[in-house]
Amino acid sequence: MYILQARDIHKKFDSLKVLKGVSLQVEKGEVIAIIGPSGSGKSTFLRCLNHLETIDRGEIKIEGEFMVRNSPDGYALYSTDKEIDQIRHKMGMVFQNFNLFPHKSVLKNLTMAPILVKQADKVEAENKAWQLLEKVGLSDKANNYPFELSGGQQQRVAIARALSMEPDIMCFDEPTSALDPELTGEVLQVMKDLALEHMTMIVVTHEIGFAREVANRVIFMDEGLIVEEGTAEQVIVNPHHERTRAFLSKVLMAR
Amino acid sequence: MDYILMLLPSMLKGLSVTLKLFFLTLMVALPVGILMGMARISKFKPLKWFMEFYVWLFRGTPLLLQLLFMYFGLMTIGIRLEREIAAYLAFVLNYSAYLAEIFRAGIQSIDRGQYEAADVLGLNRFQTMKNIVLPQVFKLVLPPMGNEVINLVKDTALIYVLAISELSRVARTHVMRDDTFVPFIIAAIFYLFMTGTVQQFFKWLESRFDYYR
Repeated sequence: MYILQARDIHKKFDSLKVLKGVSLQVEKGEVIAIIGPSGSGKSTFLRCLNHLETIDRGEIKIEGEFMVRNSPDGYALYSTDKEIDQIRHKMGMVFQNFNLFPHKSVLKNLTMAPILVKQADKVEAENKAWQLLEKVGLSDKANNYPFELSGGQQQRVAIARALSMEPDIMCFDEPTSALDPELTGEVLQVMKDLALEHMTMIVVTHEIGFAREVANRVIFMDEGLIVEEGTAEQVIVNPHHERTRAFLSKVLMAR
Repeated sequence: MDYILMLLPSMLKGLSVTLKLFFLTLMVALPVGILMGMARISKFKPLKWFMEFYVWLFRGTPLLLQLLFMYFGLMTIGIRLEREIAAYLAFVLNYSAYLAEIFRAGIQSIDRGQYEAADVLGLNRFQTMKNIVLPQVFKLVLPPMGNEVINLVKDTALIYVLAISELSRVARTHVMRDDTFVPFIIAAIFYLFMTGTVQQFFKWLESRFDYYR
């Protein structure tokens, strides 16, 4: 059984068609890297999966439950807000710009959602937060504020914060794009560790190296469609499509 | 010196009238302003339009005129308010409009990413406002708020048009009766003391919010 199924997702912003029928099925424990040029719709697709954007047509099913499906006349019909909230709790999200809460300490960034949303006990939530900070190597920063951390450290906190809600699927939207090159490594390492623990991960990324090393499956998107998908070997090393090749040569040449 | 001591009781009485108007306006207009600021960017269009109209009306006309309207204007259509009530009403309505604009701007300047982060973590809209947005808005609006509160101190002098004996009116009465400028100087000192206190208070508040950027 798939942990996430997206079928024939269509999405437009005003008249601009951003997604023109994208489908994806994810098995538990899979690590999926979505690559592609900017404007290809890869981030939008990810944002549709966890309801930061709404779709116009298509179906999204998470752990067997529909978040959205097609009505008989072919338009996206969302489940009730309550059902959607239930479903979304299973997904964690890491943003390009971290989006930490600047007015809260690192520890509070991690305990806020469990306490407010899951009515977790404060002490319990804090213990869990300490464990997560340990895991991302930042337990010494628990009482610091986000502005006191480097970009790489902030992103590691953001990953820990997403994990604090114990999601089954982790979504990453270009998690290293806002970082200085020398800081990407520490973030990618945390993500690799997660992959080793068999976390299900969907990663929109420009890090071809990461995709190649960690992803079970690589998806190349362009102009709102999946052009090519397969193992890293198939898509990155021996791409079939001209557009994939053109993209990869551009990206790889830039290094 | 004896003259000043003789003045003090009535001046202090005027001061208490001024302070009462000041605190009452602030206590009501502040929460109302926050709510109006949120309503001003509501997705419910009629509410938004109404707030836009409201802000236009109360920012777009002199407070002096609003005071006259609340008392004399309403009287002509048969609504007779106490002079003090009319004054409080005009001040609250006027300052709510200004504060609403300050809070609207503050709320709108919070990054979209903050809402999205709260959203994916499962916080509902109320929790997001209360725990994420408003605490950050307060820090942002402190400087413009400080301005507004200092203006409020000075605007209280306007209620003299309703023949309410606040600080400046008391001073003027003495000036005219005793043919001396001293009461005005004392009034000025009182005002400076009040605005100075407000200024220090906001300085302190800003330093309290200095722990993050």
